[in-house]
Amino acid sequence: MNSVERCDVLNAPDVVAFEHGLACHGVSLCLGEQQVLQEVDVVLPNRGVTCLIGPSGAGKSSLLRCITGLHETWTGDIHIEGQSVRHWQGGVDALRRQVGLIAQKPTVFPTTIEQNVLFGLSRKEKKSLGREGVQHCLQQAALWDEVAHRLDDAATDLSLGQQQRLCLARALALKPSMLLLDEPTASLDPRSKASIEQSIRALAVVMPVLCVTHDLVQAQRLSQYIMFMCAGRLLESGFSDALFQHPKRLETREFLCWSVCDCSASEEK
Amino acid sequence: MMIRLILILLAVPAVVLPLLSLGYIFVQAAPWFSVTVLLGDAQQHSMISSGLVPQIMGSLLLMGLACALAFPAALSLALFDMIYANASQRRVLAAALQLLQGIPPIVYGLCALVVLVHLFHWGISLVSGALVLAVVILPLLTENIMHALQRIAPEQTEAAKNLGLSAWHIVVRVWLPVAWSDILTGVLLAMARALSETAPILFTATVFSGVSLPDSIWSPVSSLQTHIFYLAQEASNKQAMGVAWVSAALLLLLVLGLSVVAWWLRQRRLGA
Amino acid sequence: MFKRFIYMGLVASSVWVLTLLFFLLQSSWAFWHQIGVQVLWQDEWYPYEHLYGFLPAIVGTLWALCIAMLIAVPCALAAAIVNSELVPRQVQPWGRVLMEILAGVPSIVYGLLGLWVLLPFLQKHLNLLSGHSLLAAGMMLSLMVLPTMMLMAEDALRAVPLEQREAGMHLGLNWEQRLWRILLPQAYPGMRSGMILSLGRALGETMAVMLVVGSMDRMPEPLYNILQPAQTLTSRIGREIGEASFGSLHFSALMACGVVLAAMALLLGRLAQGRAR
Repeated sequence: MNSVERCDVLNAPDVVAFEHGLACHGVSLCLGEQQVLQEVDVVLPNRGVTCLIGPSGAGKSSLLRCITGLHETWTGDIHIEGQSVRHWQGGVDALRRQVGLIAQKPTVFPTTIEQNVLFGLSRKEKKSLGREGVQHCLQQAALWDEVAHRLDDAATDLSLGQQQRLCLARALALKPSMLLLDEPTASLDPRSKASIEQSIRALAVVMPVLCVTHDLVQAQRLSQYIMFMCAGRLLESGFSDALFQHPKRLETREFLCWSVCDCSASEEK
Repeated sequence: MMIRLILILLAVPAVVLPLLSLGYIFVQAAPWFSVTVLLGDAQQHSMISSGLVPQIMGSLLLMGLACALAFPAALSLALFDMIYANASQRRVLAAALQLLQGIPPIVYGLCALVVLVHLFHWGISLVSGALVLAVVILPLLTENIMHALQRIAPEQTEAAKNLGLSAWHIVVRVWLPVAWSDILTGVLLAMARALSETAPILFTATVFSGVSLPDSIWSPVSSLQTHIFYLAQEASNKQAMGVAWVSAALLLLLVLGLSVVAWWLRQRRLGA
Repeated sequence: MFKRFIYMGLVASSVWVLTLLFFLLQSSWAFWHQIGVQVLWQDEWYPYEHLYGFLPAIVGTLWALCIAMLIAVPCALAAAIVNSELVPRQVQPWGRVLMEILAGVPSIVYGLLGLWVLLPFLQKHLNLLSGHSLLAAGMMLSLMVLPTMMLMAEDALRAVPLEQREAGMHLGLNWEQRLWRILLPQAYPGMRSGMILSLGRALGETMAVMLVVGSMDRMPEPLYNILQPAQTLTSRIGREIGEASFGSLHFSALMACGVVLAAMALLLGRLAQGRAR
């Protein structure tokens, strides 16, 4: 099934063409004896937030790691903006600079806040980015107001939520053309969560953002497009309103029901 | 790419040189390995050809006595640290052990010379040498035993305490059965260390000539380590060189043997 | 009962160690009292003429340590990086085992090798009279501390968490960049304590140094000449303790050498502990 047919099913007028951006065809991954991914076909719209949902162990994080080359034994095809990931110009390091990955656990380097933002850049790039560039990245990550006066403080002194936003700023400094987020707000408090979601929404206006999340309420809030994975397979995908209200597959319905039931139970409390 | 090459170039001597050195010793010793060298040539009457049995026995006696003396002390220090010490006492003990470990063994030899050989009038004897070696290996042995005890899961100790067992029972019935192989590894490593030390026993326990097996712990001994030292000064004498190579090879075999057994014990524990 | 045994062991060990150290100081006291601290910077050592300059031995010790560190540090660090980052996973434990076993080799064995292999080599290729020199001593010492330093450096490298390395990968840094910007800076404290520990061991090494350094109590001429026979503190003690009669001033002087040696070792230990915090 090609990208146009998939788009036809949902037929929304404001979706931009799917061909650019991320496209995975028949991606399979076997780790040890376990088949982690089975023939996954993914086509990402090239703007907007796409959330990847599914139960634990569905292979969502593994798919992200295949895209950036952290897993090397996957089979199939992955193309970003028409170029194959396997034969990326400049090697896998250049690929990772283009595709910014934010991991679940915020990992800052034991240096200053400013140095953290500049960490992935070469010396020339650091000079050309300058203070204004650092400020711009921190603003995009919704962190500038909190650290503007203490850029030379240790990054490890920041709270977890601030550290995660610093990781976002650090990735943005490399001017990526897409963002992959692996449960970015999983360990954060609600205020930091809201802050990061705001940044993600702003960034999604200019680049595709793929966000793995366990939080279905967040997925509904944040995303325009949803993909549901289970046991290594991509079972269903579609625009988020449509999928949440009228899931087509039984597994999706079950998953949403369980999670919805959990949510309402906690609301009643 | 360049950096990787430079790193590999620098790393190769770090691994290859020590290996080559050991190989060289065995290669040089091989032609001299014979019963006459080991057991002595009855027809010749020089120190060089009187066999190596007294030296081997001397080294082993020194090592064994040193470990026998150090082990109870190390065990009580480790048990004190684990059971009875409060936080500041533990800090003091850790600092003291590190301090003692840093003092060069020859300084301990000097101390023993003054105290044991002269002050106590024990003279140059097996017991003097064993006591100084015991002090040299004490910090190492204590740390090894402490590490071994620290590896025991605290839940087991808690469960035993909840049953009302006394400290003695906890150590003997819970700790020792679990940690015995780690403790044994530590003892083997300390034994290897005791075999390697030459300077402290050079002037407290050993003499070159006129020694066969010691009559008692108050008499001087000979040892492989010091024998090598004395023979090394006789580079012009081909036979002395041969016996020296053989002594070095024997000493290496003993020390490496202990290390390998210690490693195997550790693997066994990790595998289980 | 049990508690009594433990406390007895504690007290016995402490008393014993303190006694030994006390008498070291006491027996060298006569020397310090009679001759004075200025021997530390006098440069002539002729015990039979009551000249007890410590400077040649101290300078020799420092030179030998310098040479040893200059050779050992790059090689050990490189070996640690290679074994923990470049070598395939299955081979890595064997590298460690090899180093752990090599770390236990007796120093007298190295001394033998130094005397009969290294010295003739130096004599031939550097055109020396006998090969006895500070260079030889430094080379032997570096060989002896290489395994320990490599093991500690490798431990420090492995202690850097996986997340830090992956964060570097996510940023598109290649292996060399990750090494310089993430691994080495974060592993440096551990590596430094490994270096200081090895320095302490090299400081106290007697047998190997005694056999190859030449035992000539004179200052290197010029000061950077490491190719002449010279003297270190440990070598001097080892050589002359047999000759000095108990209770004589010479004997006290050698005990004083021991005190200086212990003081240097303690200083190193304080350095290591201080930086570790």
